[in-house]
Amino acid sequence: MEIPILKIEDFLIVSFQTELSDDEIDKLREDILDKIKETNARGLIIDITALKIVDSFMARSLSSIATTATLLGAKTVVVGMQPAVALTLVELGLRIKWNIQTALNLERGINLLREALKSEKDVVYE
Amino acid sequence: MSEDKLPVKNESDIISVRSFGRNLAANAGFGIVDQCRITTAISELARNAVVHGGGGSVTIKTIQNDKKGIEIIFRDEGPGIVNLELALKGGYSTVGGLGIGLSGAKRLMDEFQITSSAGKGTTVIIRKWLK
Amino acid sequence: MTEKEEFVEELSGLLEDNATELKKQWVKEMTEMGLLEKLSSLEIEQQSTAIYDTCVLTIKTGMYEAAKKYAREMAKKGVLEAMTVDQIIMGMLKLRDVYGRFIFYKYQKDVEKLYKVLGVYEPVANRILSIVALAFVEEREMKITDQQQAMLTLSTPVLQIRDQILVLPLIGTIDSARAAQIVEQLLNSIVDTQASVVIIDITGVPIIDTAVANHLIKTIQAAKMLGADTIITGISPANAQTLVTLGVDLSMMTTRGSLRSGVKLADEMLKLVVMEKR
Ligand SMILES: Nc1ncnc2c1ncn2[C@@H]1O[C@H](COP(=O)(O)OP(=O)(O)OP(=O)(O)O)[C@@H](O)[C@H]1O
Ligand SMILES: [Mg+2]
Repeated sequence: MEIPILKIEDFLIVSFQTELSDDEIDKLREDILDKIKETNARGLIIDITALKIVDSFMARSLSSIATTATLLGAKTVVVGMQPAVALTLVELGLRIKWNIQTALNLERGINLLREALKSEKDVVYE
Repeated sequence: MSEDKLPVKNESDIISVRSFGRNLAANAGFGIVDQCRITTAISELARNAVVHGGGGSVTIKTIQNDKKGIEIIFRDEGPGIVNLELALKGGYSTVGGLGIGLSGAKRLMDEFQITSSAGKGTTVIIRKWLK
Repeated sequence: MTEKEEFVEELSGLLEDNATELKKQWVKEMTEMGLLEKLSSLEIEQQSTAIYDTCVLTIKTGMYEAAKKYAREMAKKGVLEAMTVDQIIMGMLKLRDVYGRFIFYKYQKDVEKLYKVLGVYEPVANRILSIVALAFVEEREMKITDQQQAMLTLSTPVLQIRDQILVLPLIGTIDSARAAQIVEQLLNSIVDTQASVVIIDITGVPIIDTAVANHLIKTIQAAKMLGADTIITGISPANAQTLVTLGVDLSMMTTRGSLRSGVKLADEMLKLVVMEKR
């Protein structure tokens, strides 16, 4: 199944819509990273509002997407995690490994990225 | 009381098994957070059976004595877990994973039993009770 | 048919045949005692018929299911709302008297038979009364459990003090059932109100042990995954010392001494965002 990757301003936005199999997650990661290179995106927002479960495989994939995207120049924010999912992930034992930026919703995520980029630019101008 | 034995041979089986588990948990009366805990534990152990155990089967059923609950049994005939103690402690992985599947599933459930012997395979039984 | 069954049939037949008259007598006596003051005549007619019929049915079949069901319904409705438990039980006792006197009257010529019929009647009558009383006690107990549950939720109110700031003042001992409930409630509130800073004030928690500390850390991390930051306020020096001794990593928490300074910090955290926007 094809998951669309949208571009808004300098950012890419991906919404995880369904239950993805491990293969599909791997493929999606490739697609996202390709698209970042192709578009020179400065930010990446992954919307997981629709995900009813995030297991260790999904968490690890999100984490690796975030790390690689950042290396490619796109700051990453994960938005919309469900309360039950957050609680379960913490209990699963993920607390130590989760180092991804998060925001409550798409709008806050975009704001977060805009501000981050702006302060970067400010530094450049000074 | 329903009981179903489902195969877990490949990655798409992991998804069908866990959505089956979620439905059963929801019907048994578990709340949203417990449904999420149960589904996540299933996902971890089913993936272990596929990735490490070379595929196996899962039995999911509701159980009832003085309490009501859900029981899930994972069986595979893979290589078994060589260092069980270490694997249960968490943070240990022979495949470069996070090593939180086993220890995490144990934390998410109320009961967790595992038997594993080298060359013979692995059986994991997990239960959660309605509060 | 055994002798006993014969009596049962005879008795229930008698009560059915004389239903109109006996019911009238019963309602009259209850009215005299002032038990029915707040009921309309329609309600009196309906309820007395229902109760009368249920009792006869129970005597006839020896099955208490109908009586139990009816009693439970009565108890649930707070019965006829206008009647107190006392009044209802007095009413049931009155019905027992009306039946009893009728039986005496019918069998006064044949004392031996009277005793046998009473032998059938009395246990059933007593049982019905205990069923009714029990239904009320159970209903009350259920109300109490419900109220306790509500209190549990009430005892941890999540307050929205600013657009994006929530305050959770914790008061009292925190066991794991309560902790679990608090975490869930807080996470849902964060999503509902889209709050980006949460202040948990633990001034009112007498003892912080590792279990409570772990719950706090869990809450902080889950909130963070949703996209909200947490500030813990009101850790007493003694509690802080205990936590350090227990090996709890306080660097995992943003802490402030008082709720006030916590709110100030929250404002600053939010303002930081506002300032950057300019
Ligand atoms: N069914 C199994 N058969 C054989 N070995 C297993 C099985 N389940 C787990 N193991 C062994 O135990 C180790 C720990 O398992 P665990 O699920 O905790 O971590 P992981 O699968 O390596 O990584 P992840 O955090 O992604 O789950 C595995 O690396 C593997 O060596
Ligand atoms: Mg695993």
